[in-house]
Formats: sequence, structure tokens, C-alpha cells
Amino acid sequence: MSFSDIWLFLQQGVLSGLVAGSIYALLAVAVVTVFKTTDVPNFAQGEIFMVGGYIALYLLLVMEWPYWATILITLAGVALIGLVFERVALEKVIQSRGVAVQMVIATLGLAYILKGAVRQTGLGDSPRSLPSPVSTDVVVIGDAFLTRLDLVIFVVAVATMLLLFLMFNYTRIGKAMRAVGMNPRAAQLVGINLKRVRMAVWALAGLISAVSALLIMPKILITPDIGHIAILAFAAAIVGGIASIPGAIVGGFLIGIAENLVGLFISTNAIVVTPFVAILVVLLLRPQGLLGGKLQVKKV
Amino acid sequence: MKNINAWLLAAAAVTLLALPFVATGYVLFIVNLLMVFVVLALGLHIVLGETGQFALSHIAFYGIGVYTSGLLNNAFGLNAVLLLVLSALLCGLLGFLLGTLAIRMRDIYLALSTFAFGEAMQWVFLNWTEVTNGSNGYRLSPIQFFGYTMSTDREAYPFVVIVTALVVAATIHLSRSRLGSSFRAVRESDVAAQAVGINVNMVKRVAFMLSASYAGLAGALFTSFSSFIHPDSLGFQAMILVLIMVVVGGIGSVRGAIAGAIIFGLISELLRQVLSFQEVIYGLVLIFFMMFMPKGLLGGGRTMRIGRVTQSSPALVQPEAAHNDGAGRSQA
Repeated sequence: MSFSDIWLFLQQGVLSGLVAGSIYALLAVAVVTVFKTTDVPNFAQGEIFMVGGYIALYLLLVMEWPYWATILITLAGVALIGLVFERVALEKVIQSRGVAVQMVIATLGLAYILKGAVRQTGLGDSPRSLPSPVSTDVVVIGDAFLTRLDLVIFVVAVATMLLLFLMFNYTRIGKAMRAVGMNPRAAQLVGINLKRVRMAVWALAGLISAVSALLIMPKILITPDIGHIAILAFAAAIVGGIASIPGAIVGGFLIGIAENLVGLFISTNAIVVTPFVAILVVLLLRPQGLLGGKLQVKKV
Repeated sequence: MKNINAWLLAAAAVTLLALPFVATGYVLFIVNLLMVFVVLALGLHIVLGETGQFALSHIAFYGIGVYTSGLLNNAFGLNAVLLLVLSALLCGLLGFLLGTLAIRMRDIYLALSTFAFGEAMQWVFLNWTEVTNGSNGYRLSPIQFFGYTMSTDREAYPFVVIVTALVVAATIHLSRSRLGSSFRAVRESDVAAQAVGINVNMVKRVAFMLSASYAGLAGALFTSFSSFIHPDSLGFQAMILVLIMVVVGGIGSVRGAIAGAIIFGLISELLRQVLSFQEVIYGLVLIFFMMFMPKGLLGGGRTMRIGRVTQSSPALVQPEAAHNDGAGRSQA
């Protein structure tokens, strides 16, 4: 491989990685937000995302709704799924004094239900995709090829992250979420309704998942098993530090880039295993993640 | 309680003894498979139920056990007992190593890193084609036991049942031993365990080691009656199945793990044809149990004896984690 090839691969890998990484980053933000405020590692994240894709697919292709209505209903529908699951199932698990294992298993339950339900509709029998709302003309950046759709994905994803940033810093509900993440008891003492914040967080996670699903759907084919993508979100969250939202974003981009570079330089076979290697390496060398700050000392 | 146990034991013994005379080959295959699940579930019970370490690497060791036993048998035609021992030893050793790495982590970090290990191992099974034959699956030849060749489910049945019975007995013995008490002490509070002189890190390593060797044993046991293994059945799906067995059966209880293995092993086998239906039922069962019976079917025994319902739940998340001090507990 000559030097110019390497330079070309590098550019292509990084740019494609940024596009894919923006989706992983969004999903990782959803994972981290839920984990910080409700203590639940959400193993249904991928399936929530998957359901978003299928709702959009159903509305757009089967019901033949216009794009804007599909987007609105998909966002609302997936947010509702998150909210209802928290309100009905998780609150009850918390009441029954469930701890991490029980919470994880409840989210796994949700994952199974969503996957089974989508399979039941028959929509998932063959891999499907959405028509792209923008043109898929090629755009050349440096020596690398992207499509217009790629640029839209990246820009919308980054804009969503900015909105989230504004929400966490300047709105009451966003600040309440952060407060609960830092210290739920103290947050409750200053008048924050924990139940409501937890519901809002799950709705938000649903919303973010729906955005990511809508963004990536025109680019890839999905099946009911696409939920595996959540592994990349978890890898991103861990690489960045599972309690840090900026960390999740950085982690998402890093994982996206790493995946593409591994695909270009090593082998496409090795792409699948990249996130696991990333998880193992980070957890062994720097368990708190890149932006996780100092390790917390355990108090008795 | 003693009486019920005795009756259960008698009923199980009679059923297992009578079965080969009345059942078809398919039923015996299912029973063999359930026995493997029992061994697997007991292994996860040790690390998760007894020691409270949230490890999701169990199926990876099971896979290593299957391939170790299968490869050794195809190459040298070793005796079944030797295959069991070698698989268990190898997995135990690997489990000890993983445990050494894992003692640095807890809760979610442990879950995710062991999960990553499991996925990475499945990738190896799929892609190390020269050894495992990759995604075409691997043929397992019949295994012999002191000259007696086990080529059908019926022929393997006595061997599988006897090994499983020994494993169950060993597990009960273990949970009554000093080591079992140390496991539970670490589960309830590793700081307190340390304070009474338990070498917490060593206890955790031993728990990982034992758990992995159970999985290796289960893998070798599987090769005694099955003729084929595919990496697809060694993934996260299988891991979740065993996790469900242990948690819904009754976390921290030997009887619970066994009951869970039998119930969910049967469900998964019976609903194999209708995947979507199986998934929805699984999901509903899981959520239902976590909502209303978070300790599972048979997980309540210990609590009742102690008489303090709230204090004895396995402390898998320690309340002192500084950044998330009890989102869930503020309701209390």
C-alpha cells in the first residue's frame, strides 16, 4: 500500500466515520442520559431505535403518509414508548426494590417485546430501507467521497446534539435531569419530582433514538435485528465515560472512525469485533472512560 | 421444608429413571439439553446468585467447552470423563484469568466488559475457520465412555443425567461450605467481607473460575449427545436465556436455578418455531417478574428465614456510588 493510498483511505475513513459516528454519538447520549438519571443501563436502546425505524417505514411506505407527518408521528410514538415503559414497568421495579440486575432484565424484556412485535407485523421479513428525502449525489471532500445524504445526517445529528446541550444547560427540565443525575436525594429536597424527571428522561431517550433512526434509515437496510447497533452506542458511552454526555459524543465519533479505519486497513470481517475490543481495552486501561474524570473513591 | 425437598428429589429421581423406558428419542434429547442448561444455570448461579458479580461471559466459556471437547474427541477420541475434566479445567483457568481482570470492575462496567468478552469469543468461533469451521458449524463425533460409545440421545442419557446429578450435589455442598459463605459475604458487602478477614479478590476470582468450569463442563456434556454445534447458538441470545433461568428461577437459590433452567429451557425449545411469539412471551415474562417478583420464583427462601424482607436483596448496586446516590431508593 503506497503512501498516497494510505492518505486517501485515512481521509475516507475519517469522514465516513464521522457520519456513522454521529449516529452512534446520538444513541450513546441516549444511553448515558438514561444511565445517569435512572441508574439503568438500557439494554433496549437498540430495539427502541429499531422500532423508530419501523414506525417510519410503516407510515411512509404502507400508509403512504407524507414525510413531515411520518417524522412527527415517529418522534412522538417512540418517545411515548420510552415514557410508558418507565411509568408502567420501571417505576414498579423500583418499588419492588429491584437493583441493577432487575432493571437490566426489565429492559431486556422490553427489547424482546419490541423485537417480537415488529417481527409479528411481517414488515421485517426482508431488509427494508426508506427513500431518501434528499438527493444522494456524490460530494467530494478532499479525496474522499460522501453523499449529500451523509452531509444531512451529520449536520442534523450535530444540530440535535447542540439542542440537547442547550436543553441541559438552559431549561428547567434539562437542569432538573442533571441535578437528578448528580444527587437524586438532594434534587428531591429542592422540589424536583423524581418520577416526572425519570419519565422525561425516558421520553427524551426515545426521541433521540427516533431522530437517529430517521436519519440513518435512508442510508441502510434494516431488519428487526438492527438493535445490535446499540452495542456501538454502549461502546461509545464506555469509551467516553459512561456518566459523561460530552464523553458519549466523543466516544461515538471515535468508534465510528475506528470502525471505518479497521474496515479499510484491516478487514471488513474485523469491523464487527472493533467495538468489543474498544470496550475491553478502555475498561482495562481507563475504566472511567476518556472524559470520565477521576475515579471515584468508594465510601463505606 | 426438608420434607418438600426430599419429595422433590424422589419425584425427580423416579421421573429420570423411568423416562428412558417410555420416552421417544426427541424427548430424551430435550431432557439431555435441559440437563446441560441445569449445569449452565448452576454455573451462573455461583458467580451471579452467590457472589453477586454481574458477569455476562458464561456462554463464551460454554462455547470454549464445546469446542475443546469436540476438537479433542475428533482428534484423539478421548474418554468422556477426560473430555469433561479437560474442558472444565481449561475454562476454569480462563475464568480465573478473566476474574483477575474483572475484580477491578463492578456492576455495569463488569456487565459490559464481560458482555464484550462474550461477543468477541463468538466472533472468534465464527471467524477462526481452520479450527471451528466457522459459520458452517462443527460436526461432533460420538464420544466413548470406557468402550461404550454414545451415538444417540438415548445412549448418552444415563451419562448426562449422572454427571448433572453430581454437579447438583457438588453445588449444594459448595453453597453450604465455608467458601459458599464467603461468596455470599462478598455479595452482601465486599467491604464487610474484607473486614472479617475474607480475601475478597481471591473469592471473586475463585467464583469466576468455578463458574467458568461449570460452563466448560456443560459444553463437554453437550458434545456427549449432540452431533453439531453452530456459533449462532453461542451468542448473546443464549446468554440472556441462562440469565433469565437464574434470575427468574430465583436469584441466589440452587433450587431456583434448576427450576429456571427446566422451565425456560422447555419454553425456548417449544417456541423455537415461532420466533416472534417466543420473543414477546419472553419479554412479558421478564418484565412481569421484575415488576412483581424481582427475586424470582424460588428466591424468597433465604429472606423468610432472616425475617427482614428488605435487607437481604443481593446488593448488586452498592448505594454508595457517589454520582448516582439511589435514584431508585429515594422512594423508600
